[in-house]
Amino acid sequence: MDYFYHILVIALIYVIFASSLNLELGYAGLYNFGHVAFFAIGAYTSALLSLAGFSPAASMAIALLCSAASGALLAMPALRLSGDYFGIATLAFGELARLFALNERWLTKGPMGLPGIPRPLGIEAGISGIPVYFIFTVTITVAVLLILRKTTMSPFGRALKVVREDEFVARAFGKNVFSLKVRAVAMGSLFAGLAGALYAHFVTYISPYDFSLNETILVLLCVVLGGKGTLSGPVLGAFVIIFFQELLRFLPIPTDWGRFVSPIQGMIYGAVLVILMLKRPEGIIPEHRTLQC
Amino acid sequence: MSGYYLQLMTNGIIAGAVYALFAVGLTLVYGVFRFINFAHGELIAWGAYLTLAFSALIPFGAAIFPAVAVTVLIALAQERYVYAPLRKKAGITLLIASIGLSYFLRNGLRLLWGSDLKSFGFEAARGLVFFGITVSRTQIAMFLAALIFLGFVWGLHKFTMLGKGLRAAADSLELAEIVGIDMKKIGRAVWIISAVFAASGGILIAIDTNLEPMMGIANLLKAFAAVLLGGAGNVWGALLGGLFIGIAENLGVAFFSPGYKDAISFALIIAILLFKPTGIFAIMKGMR
Repeated sequence: MDYFYHILVIALIYVIFASSLNLELGYAGLYNFGHVAFFAIGAYTSALLSLAGFSPAASMAIALLCSAASGALLAMPALRLSGDYFGIATLAFGELARLFALNERWLTKGPMGLPGIPRPLGIEAGISGIPVYFIFTVTITVAVLLILRKTTMSPFGRALKVVREDEFVARAFGKNVFSLKVRAVAMGSLFAGLAGALYAHFVTYISPYDFSLNETILVLLCVVLGGKGTLSGPVLGAFVIIFFQELLRFLPIPTDWGRFVSPIQGMIYGAVLVILMLKRPEGIIPEHRTLQC
Repeated sequence: MSGYYLQLMTNGIIAGAVYALFAVGLTLVYGVFRFINFAHGELIAWGAYLTLAFSALIPFGAAIFPAVAVTVLIALAQERYVYAPLRKKAGITLLIASIGLSYFLRNGLRLLWGSDLKSFGFEAARGLVFFGITVSRTQIAMFLAALIFLGFVWGLHKFTMLGKGLRAAADSLELAEIVGIDMKKIGRAVWIISAVFAASGGILIAIDTNLEPMMGIANLLKAFAAVLLGGAGNVWGALLGGLFIGIAENLGVAFFSPGYKDAISFALIIAILLFKPTGIFAIMKGMR
């Protein structure tokens, strides 16, 4: 049962992570391929602060602000670029962040990672704390989804969609396109940082290997599979992907075949992305296109 | 001390020549199809791994040819089954599909050959010394191969109808089609050139160092940096960009920890995009 809660918490963390990417990719049309960097910034900031003696809750709050600020700082120069180039710049940023965590041993302990990250609100470490942490995560996830719902239905959210569809139209309506995009990235990074912080305090051990390109692909898949530009799409996508991943562990696979599991899983993810784009680019839950703006 | 820097410079130029191969392939595809192929890195890795596989059956020198040929087939299959059907849809679908494709191909490598480091098993030969600079035979081969391939592209651009077509397409797709240039033929040529360059460069790098599944993505990011330095679609810019990246990251070793060797190109990408998104080496505008 604890294991089930464990999966649920990871799925919920990915719900937040995927929803944060969806704000940029689905609503604002920004192809952020380095989103994992903000997940990592949130995780590392919160972990380092709480290990330095700050209370975990305060560390998480500071981590959010750090992620949002670094998101805005990256967005301001990177948004001078359009489309594909924004993708490359963010991809490079993601790799830079990972290399930083790997090389700056004085801060991050490099490949050894950070063990013993305390859980917030006095939740016990180890297995016994998992059910309580689950409730904690559910509360936060619901709050995040409510905020995102409010945001995307607000004039700001609608303006983002206009920017995505046609920047010139947005400009003609007197919208400040640059500011809209920066705010979208900052908000996306804030929630990615939240997901990262939740992750760090849940698994209590993080290392640079948790924040690789694979996580970027995974979260991208959650958004695209579920349906980008919708609130429920990434939620569904995250649950499907995480449960699929965990179910694989229960398949009766001979141990000497074990080394094939992870590559095959990767191939499936890659193939699903390609096939989705070919056959159903809108994902499982398509976006309603008849908005009354 | 200056000898040390000269040595780093030389290493940089040789590495840069190979990066230029990757970058030229990437930028040629961009020039014709106006999209950035995230799966280009996997052509690099597959070229190297296929050579490893074929060299178990036939001598190494002969194994290169079927390996490059299969890589070309992979590239053509990419175009035919994924990119061509998506060309009419929104840009993001193409981009996500190419990322998915690269992930698929990379994990295919891991499935077939495992995730561990592999090598072609050449014995390390003593380097040759010119004017106090040590160069290995592999490095000379890398440089010469890059020179020959890039010379081939230059000749193609300068003297053939195909090259003219390429230049026309890079300039304006619609106009090129209007004047009756066969875009299908151009497209196929571009994929073949880019796959041959990627596979050959991948093999050379694998001879010099080793093979690992992530070699594609690592070199792809360098090629991206080179393409951006040169201005997307600009072949000569990509060439200079590749050389620049090679020199920058090798000279960088003198100043930063070697762990950051790869980071230099990533930082360059962000810096270029910050200050000069049109590219720094986009000087020869007429010679795209």
